[in-house]
Amino acid sequence: MSGKTAYKTFKGGIHPPYNKELARESAITPCPVPAEVLIPLTQHIGAPNEPLVAAGDRVEVGQKIGGSEAFVSAPVHSSVAGTVKGIKEITGFTGAKVKVVAITPDAEQPDFAKQPGKDVDSYSDEEVRAIAREAGLVGMGGAAFPTHVKLAPPKDKPVDMVIINACECEPFLTCDHRLMLERPTDLVHGLKLLLKAVGARKGIIGVEANKMDAVEAVRAAAQGETDITVEILDVKYPEGAEKMLIFALTRRKVPPGKLPSEVGCVVQNVGTAVALYEAASWGKPLYERVITVSGPGIKEPGNLLVRIGTPMSALIDACGGLQGEPGKVIMGGPMTGWAQPDTATPVVKGTSGVLAFTADLIDVADEHECVRCGKCIDACPMFLQPNFIVQAVKKELWDKAEMWGAMDCFECGCCSFTCPAYIPHVTYVREAKADIAALKKR
Amino acid sequence: MADKMLLNVSPHLHKKNETISRAMRDVLIALTPAAIWAMVVFGFNVVLIIAVSCATAALTEFVMRKILRRKVTLGDYSAMVTGVLFAFLLPPTTPLWVVAIGAFIAIAVFKELFGGLGKNIFNPAITARLLLWITPLAIYTTKFVRPFYWRDSGFFTPIATSISNGVTTFKTLAGNVSADVVVHATPLSLLKSGRWGVSAVTGPTPVGATWTTSSGRPSLGSLFLGLKSGSIGEISVLLLLLGGLYLIWRGTIDWRIPTAIIGSFLVLNLIAWNQPFYNLFSGGLFLGAFFMATDWVTSPVTRRGKWIYGIGIGVTIFLIRFVYIWPEGVAVSIFIWNILTLAIDRYIAVPKFGEVGTTVFNKLPVLPGPAPQPAKKEA
Ligand code: SF4
Ligand code: SF4
Repeated sequence: MSGKTAYKTFKGGIHPPYNKELARESAITPCPVPAEVLIPLTQHIGAPNEPLVAAGDRVEVGQKIGGSEAFVSAPVHSSVAGTVKGIKEITGFTGAKVKVVAITPDAEQPDFAKQPGKDVDSYSDEEVRAIAREAGLVGMGGAAFPTHVKLAPPKDKPVDMVIINACECEPFLTCDHRLMLERPTDLVHGLKLLLKAVGARKGIIGVEANKMDAVEAVRAAAQGETDITVEILDVKYPEGAEKMLIFALTRRKVPPGKLPSEVGCVVQNVGTAVALYEAASWGKPLYERVITVSGPGIKEPGNLLVRIGTPMSALIDACGGLQGEPGKVIMGGPMTGWAQPDTATPVVKGTSGVLAFTADLIDVADEHECVRCGKCIDACPMFLQPNFIVQAVKKELWDKAEMWGAMDCFECGCCSFTCPAYIPHVTYVREAKADIAALKKR
Repeated sequence: MADKMLLNVSPHLHKKNETISRAMRDVLIALTPAAIWAMVVFGFNVVLIIAVSCATAALTEFVMRKILRRKVTLGDYSAMVTGVLFAFLLPPTTPLWVVAIGAFIAIAVFKELFGGLGKNIFNPAITARLLLWITPLAIYTTKFVRPFYWRDSGFFTPIATSISNGVTTFKTLAGNVSADVVVHATPLSLLKSGRWGVSAVTGPTPVGATWTTSSGRPSLGSLFLGLKSGSIGEISVLLLLLGGLYLIWRGTIDWRIPTAIIGSFLVLNLIAWNQPFYNLFSGGLFLGAFFMATDWVTSPVTRRGKWIYGIGIGVTIFLIRFVYIWPEGVAVSIFIWNILTLAIDRYIAVPKFGEVGTTVFNKLPVLPGPAPQPAKKEA
């Protein structure tokens, strides 16, 4: 239906039930340190890290415990002071095996020793990138792409704009919202560092219209900063998808298969910007983050400051525990997150939410034959044809799957959300991507 | 706890109430006012015809799915929708056994044998209707009565019963009546024959002088409200329009298809100045535009495709009505464009987000022999 488009937006997309009120009023509180943290060695897209510690070693908060020489990588730091129990393999949140460093925290955890860095204005672009890398910064919206790589766009593609993705369009999640309310100045400083790093003149903070209090807070913090504006966006999913966000704010279209730098933009998440500020001014690496714990299955939904490697169960306990008939626990948001077999999975840098659904919230049905209603096509923000991708995958016609857009799908899930036949398009798309990639390699 | 947790791939939310049965139920709701009105105008036979059509459709689907070892999915109401739509396409004089045959063909052949809901390439109701037209049974399905005939014959409309020497006999509860008394031209056949006068119409004047013009044909207003002869479901433009708007509001059908059909048809009529509004409100145009052409399964899936399809249907109806001889043409046009739907979906490109240049046609991947297969996934 034609809604009133009061604010900037894109074409396509959906309006899921947002359920933000569950956690939006609850201020960020620290999550208790668990009995054991399991820190995945590799938490980014790119080359895997090598462990820098061994069983029995003592580690301090913020000590580097995993790293790699490769460019597309980000080191991993210990989130606690304690003793390394060992390096083992567990099932990560995506279901794939991951290597983790198991650490037993000390009973007493010292506060992170802030090493006062320079004034944020006095860093050079080189230095900011180096800081981002050393601090192990990755995109904290979920994709976990190493930040310093994004900040080093190809020389022939000048970047004139840095966009802070403050949409938080995933239902239930409120961690970015809280960060903007509680630490708007740090966010603005983070953005200034980002602008510095890529040599851009314009910084935009894009916030969805359902967080007007955050808009006011950040606008107040950015007062006097001539090159920073706060823009309000329509409440729609996936407003926070990079390409959609860039389009909504600038009307620039990132071509299929290309990166935002193609149109002179760099997009960073709120959490990443704040973390960059912390790294630059306090020397603090990314070892903890704000995570929303919410959903009807959680007794007291809230926003926690959590050390990386904490099992989900510790977060849930800190929020009063589970309630109701358990149905599903999800790491991430409900649209793109990963269902977990149990609550032992440790959280990582890219974890924005831990959600518990009660059984009654789960809406699954048997997959029906596609009835060709076209709703998935209308909903797809990339203007792909998800129903035909599914058909092609079923017949294993990989070149057709590619033609209908399998490789351009960013798995937002809008198609499956609206499909009256309950077809899980994203599952098929993932299969297509894997197989097309395998084909291309040969 | 682990075994209780559901593990599946994102998204973990689904749009509330976005199901096939919800949509089909909506269609049934949207059709109800028109059905009730048809009963008021044409008498109790309408109820019987719809009931027989639905019952046959549902039963056929049940039996077919059992035979073909498919899961029985009567709960999605799609058989009911086909049943009602098929009944809507018939004149109120249709004998019930003909209704049953038609509904059976619609489901058994044009739905289930094609693979069931989603795989059928033709709209079952329309195709079955067309099939009846080209068989000897046509004689039973082309006789229309004037509105409120049942005032004379009791609450049952006359039914076409037997044919000898090309003369159809009609029967009412009160006994046999001759065709002269019953058969009545539809507005479109009046228009087509160019005969407007009362005398040109067989049988008694279709009066209630309130709803005819002085020339004897129904007034525009009566066409719009549904005081005319015609097939069961097509008579009230107003009620069909309301039903259609309801479906659009519910998000069940796409507004582009009816808009394109009605718009293009009207524009062509305005250009040709051929009784534009009279044409618009006569025949099954609104029924076809809102309820038949919008059938999910047999219409294109993309927005572009929907425009092409809708305009195509509008133009085809125009051609059939004015260049060719048939007074009607809605069903035939939709049928033709059902066939073209597959081609539209395949060849009309939808540029991906950010794609430069305007691609109009898809370049299909060349498939030399069997498609290349990826290496077997090693464990
Ligand atoms: S096809 Fe991919 S990009 Fe398009 S709606 Fe579905 S998940 Fe989103
Ligand atoms: S939404 Fe589902 S049923 Fe509709 S066209 Fe897409 S895949 Fe088919």
